[in-house]
Amino acid sequence: MLNSETANVRLTMAGVVRGVKSLGPISLFVIPFGIAFGAAAIERGVTPDQSIVMSLTVFSAAAQFAALDFWNGPLPAISLLLTVLAVGTRHILMGATLAPWLNRLSRPKRLLALSVLSDANFADSYDAFRRDERDVGRLVGGGLALCICWIIGSTIGVIAGASLGNLGRFGIDVVMVSFFAAIAVGQWEGLSDVLPSVVAAAVAVLGLIFLPPGWNIVLAALAGGIAGVLWHER
Amino acid sequence: MSAEATAYLTIFLMAAVTYGTRIAGAELMTLFRITSRVDAFLKSMAISVMVAIVASAIAQSGFRENTATLVAAAVMAATRSSIGAVTAGMLVAAAWTWLA
Repeated sequence: MLNSETANVRLTMAGVVRGVKSLGPISLFVIPFGIAFGAAAIERGVTPDQSIVMSLTVFSAAAQFAALDFWNGPLPAISLLLTVLAVGTRHILMGATLAPWLNRLSRPKRLLALSVLSDANFADSYDAFRRDERDVGRLVGGGLALCICWIIGSTIGVIAGASLGNLGRFGIDVVMVSFFAAIAVGQWEGLSDVLPSVVAAAVAVLGLIFLPPGWNIVLAALAGGIAGVLWHER
Repeated sequence: MSAEATAYLTIFLMAAVTYGTRIAGAELMTLFRITSRVDAFLKSMAISVMVAIVASAIAQSGFRENTATLVAAAVMAATRSSIGAVTAGMLVAAAWTWLA
């Protein structure tokens, strides 16, 4: 990473606005996921208040859906928290990936900005930082848009989830995977991406069989990273 | 402890663990100098996360979802618009459901 690519990094309201604008349309698609979570939480015996507080403070679809599987046992279960850690581990990798830019900020600003780190605003802001964006507000704005939609969706789901039926008929179920596929294509730089991608895909798919939920993505990302280093130094 | 308090303690611990994962990566990287090797690792890891999420979803989904994902990737390659790509993917999945 050249110094010039990470110099002059800042966190401003203008950046936040750009983040909201960039991820706003995609964020709207988070609402149906929130509805699905709210409805599922009620079904599992989580109270409406608890469900909404969970969406507000945890703000992670993967962690929250995973937690529901444990909800009827004794709480707080170690296995529940380990699962939340496992599905959250990819945040560590995303944070490390954004570190060349984030670590130019003061620690308090960084710790605040990272509180809304999620898959979609990571993808959006990493892409933007790689071009000419230098404002971490981009990450924060995208995260706020996602978080607000997640809470709106969860609230609707808690109140009315059971009566809305299957949202898949509108194609909403493919929004997130389509978004990640699009970002992967957008990031594609050429030959140097081939080996990491093939390794990551293979490990992710094989990991589905052998690993607890979430760990396959973590292992695939690390394996892809190592493959990238090997290619770099061949 | 009441069931209510236990539930909120669990939610609080979930939030703390998740926040910990959000900040840990950047904090860890303050300990390393970004050499060209570390840079290659991070760049490859970034695309690997996306590819792994997509590959994992494809392995667990049906023909309808995977066709939609493929169309989204193709539209992205042609137009460079992620919103266009997502919209195309959605349209394929919705049309598939209505026509099936």
